[in-house]
Amino acid sequence: MKKVIVIGLDGFEPKIAEAMMAHGELPNLMRLREQGGYSRLKTTHSAQTPVAWSSFSTGTNPGGHGIFDFLTRDTKTYLPIMALSRYEQKNAFVLPKVVNMRRGTPFWNLLSAKEIQSTIIRVPCAYPPDQVKGRMLSGVGVPDLRGGFGTPTFYTTRSSVSADQSEKAIIVTMKDGKITTYVIGPRDPKTKSDFKFDINIQIDKLENKIIITSQGQPENLEVKLVKWSKWLKVKFKVGMMQAVTGIMRFNLRQIEPEFELYASPINFETEEPLFPISSPQEYAHELALKIGRYYTTGMAEDHDGLNNGRFDESAYLDQCRIVLRERRKMMEYELGRFTGGYFFCLFDTPDRLAHMFWRFTEPNHPSNRGEDVSQYAKIIEEHYRECDEIVGEAMKHIDNETLFIVLSDHGMNSFQRGLNLNTWLHDNGFLALKAGSKPGDGGDFFQNVDWDMTKAYAMGLGCIFLNLKGRESNGIVSADEAESVREGIVSGLNGLADSARGAVAVRSVVRREQIYSGPYLNEAPDLLVNFSEGYRVSWDTPLGGVPQGLFADNHKKWGGDHVIDPALVPGILFMNKKFSAESPSLVDLAPTILNSLGVPKGAEMEGRDLLS
Amino acid sequence: MKILVLNLQDARPQTLFSDERLENIHRLIDMGCFGELKGDASDWNVLARQENHTLSLLEFLEQADKQCASFDDFSALRSKLDAGDWDYCQLSDSGLKNASSHAGSGSADDYLRLDWELDEVLQYLGDDTIIAVVGEGCFVLVSANNPISGEHKEGSTVDIAPTLLELAGYPLPAATEGKSWVAGMELKNASSGLTAEEEEILRERLSGLGYI
Repeated sequence: MKKVIVIGLDGFEPKIAEAMMAHGELPNLMRLREQGGYSRLKTTHSAQTPVAWSSFSTGTNPGGHGIFDFLTRDTKTYLPIMALSRYEQKNAFVLPKVVNMRRGTPFWNLLSAKEIQSTIIRVPCAYPPDQVKGRMLSGVGVPDLRGGFGTPTFYTTRSSVSADQSEKAIIVTMKDGKITTYVIGPRDPKTKSDFKFDINIQIDKLENKIIITSQGQPENLEVKLVKWSKWLKVKFKVGMMQAVTGIMRFNLRQIEPEFELYASPINFETEEPLFPISSPQEYAHELALKIGRYYTTGMAEDHDGLNNGRFDESAYLDQCRIVLRERRKMMEYELGRFTGGYFFCLFDTPDRLAHMFWRFTEPNHPSNRGEDVSQYAKIIEEHYRECDEIVGEAMKHIDNETLFIVLSDHGMNSFQRGLNLNTWLHDNGFLALKAGSKPGDGGDFFQNVDWDMTKAYAMGLGCIFLNLKGRESNGIVSADEAESVREGIVSGLNGLADSARGAVAVRSVVRREQIYSGPYLNEAPDLLVNFSEGYRVSWDTPLGGVPQGLFADNHKKWGGDHVIDPALVPGILFMNKKFSAESPSLVDLAPTILNSLGVPKGAEMEGRDLLS
Repeated sequence: MKILVLNLQDARPQTLFSDERLENIHRLIDMGCFGELKGDASDWNVLARQENHTLSLLEFLEQADKQCASFDDFSALRSKLDAGDWDYCQLSDSGLKNASSHAGSGSADDYLRLDWELDEVLQYLGDDTIIAVVGEGCFVLVSANNPISGEHKEGSTVDIAPTLLELAGYPLPAATEGKSWVAGMELKNASSGLTAEEEEILRERLSGLGYI
């Protein structure tokens, strides 16, 4: 083969795709199925975007690449931290460096060593970008300008509003149809306050729009009611001589009776990103000059805005379409000049959309709270049709010497009920709270947890860690005792029932060495919880909360999820060549792609060539 | 704390403070304090002047049995910093042109080369270092415990030595000529532990993930 083209559809659910194909829909994917084949694709433990795509990249189980969850913990402080990348700073005087925590060898490094070009757009866990021969644009893992997964700002004249989940709120006052306010930038490590960028808002009631005037680009930005604005480039002076730039969009929700304006998280700007987001470094900007400004943060879709009720489904859909369209432009531009080697483009939107619209497919979903959900009941299918169209567009670039692959990293399922894992650990004697406090008293970050008496704790999306002596700073479980503690948790949690629903919530609990092997096994959670369909860890669990009660209904709009037993949420795999469809796995893709391009698989790669 | 003084006699404030290309100098400026200096630029290491002897900062610290070293080029300085066995290091009397081991590397001017050199020197330091860059009638001073930030006006060249000593926690000799800028001020503490505000930042950063 001369070319391998891979289209990634994050979170594309096989059951939906299969049902649609059974009705003769998704014509391009059906064509691929006929030409080559289709199979469900075994995903990773756990079934999460960064974990799964890292196994795709390296051809190893997570023990070989070190990404086990979006989050991990700092063993010194027990605080949850981002697991995908880390900022390392030699000392206070030099700039911090971003270090990718995905280790192992991605297969494009092996291609580069053989002088084979790659074009890789938005593969997760490649931030900072790998130094490939060719081009790479980073994806999931790239933070916003405030250093997180994305912090939007909500401006309103309603004085009762306060900031919700991962957002900032600014109460503004309107005077003679004008508002003077600011954009919140990165935090000043010296003064601990936020850098600001002044904006003035001129309200035009007749035209149902506002003009945002600033020293940014453009100087005057028009924002029409309920429409996404164009990009505003903002600049924060962060020192006497230093400035940081970013780009953002606005969505004007309402002018009267109260003013409401949503501002997206501030994305890195491609010309001067805070940290490199592409390889070569100038590639990100070259792309922007060709297709226009685009979202650069890893999590481009503004799910927080919808979750917090700052805008509605229709605005979220509009934004998903913008993201999809710009990604499609990138794909078309790059495929247009693709002559050989490896091509990859990831579309994240099927995942981000299904998270927020799953509830509409289940009228009795607790998130709906009686709301009529018929309006969006078919929106996921509609979106899958758009994805199929994109696949069709890419298929135009297939020639006799092309291996063409469409895959998803995991599927999607329902999230109706959450299990408070730390509360279970507490009730069963594994996690202790300080004298006088009980579950529900403290908040996140293991507040009130008595580490000197705690044997195990849960954080992230279904991870349980032992409070191990010599590893955790206040560890009390000795190496000899570790197995009996794990055994106690496994036997207690296995098959745990949700009595209110008469259903089994936990299908199984697995020890790390049962599912992982390799050099990073020792970084893995000690136990992983495999949830049943409809269940997940509760909202209070990932950041270390110990709330009251074992189970909680999920009332958030984020009503679909996939971090359950991986056996229940496989991905999809389509290829234009016949392949052995005997339970293919994500780790098989790297050897398959390498072999197609005439490069032997890497020594650590665990999978097999699906075409042989 | 350790003290590192980089004396570049012909580095002028106009360029040092306003040439946007000097990223490392400006990061230091933003971290600490800076300003112009009155007095003779060659007095940058003078601590006290007696009738027939001038006590330098280096000499004073040597008398206090501190490990001191003086260099006139960056690469020798870097080796010393890398070895780590020092309390006081100074780079002196070299001037911009001679300072750079990158001399001849392309068209960049001396100031830009100085900035590169600075970047490399900074790699070898620990957080417990006090850095002073002293040019011709100007300075940049960075120290984690320095209570002064931004532009510091009305300073004299001879104030540098006592200010450094005070920040580093050494007693000043009675005959000190200059005046420490931080005299009588409360030095800053390196903070530790997670404050409520920092927790909020952590929450904000992580919760944008959606899954949590």
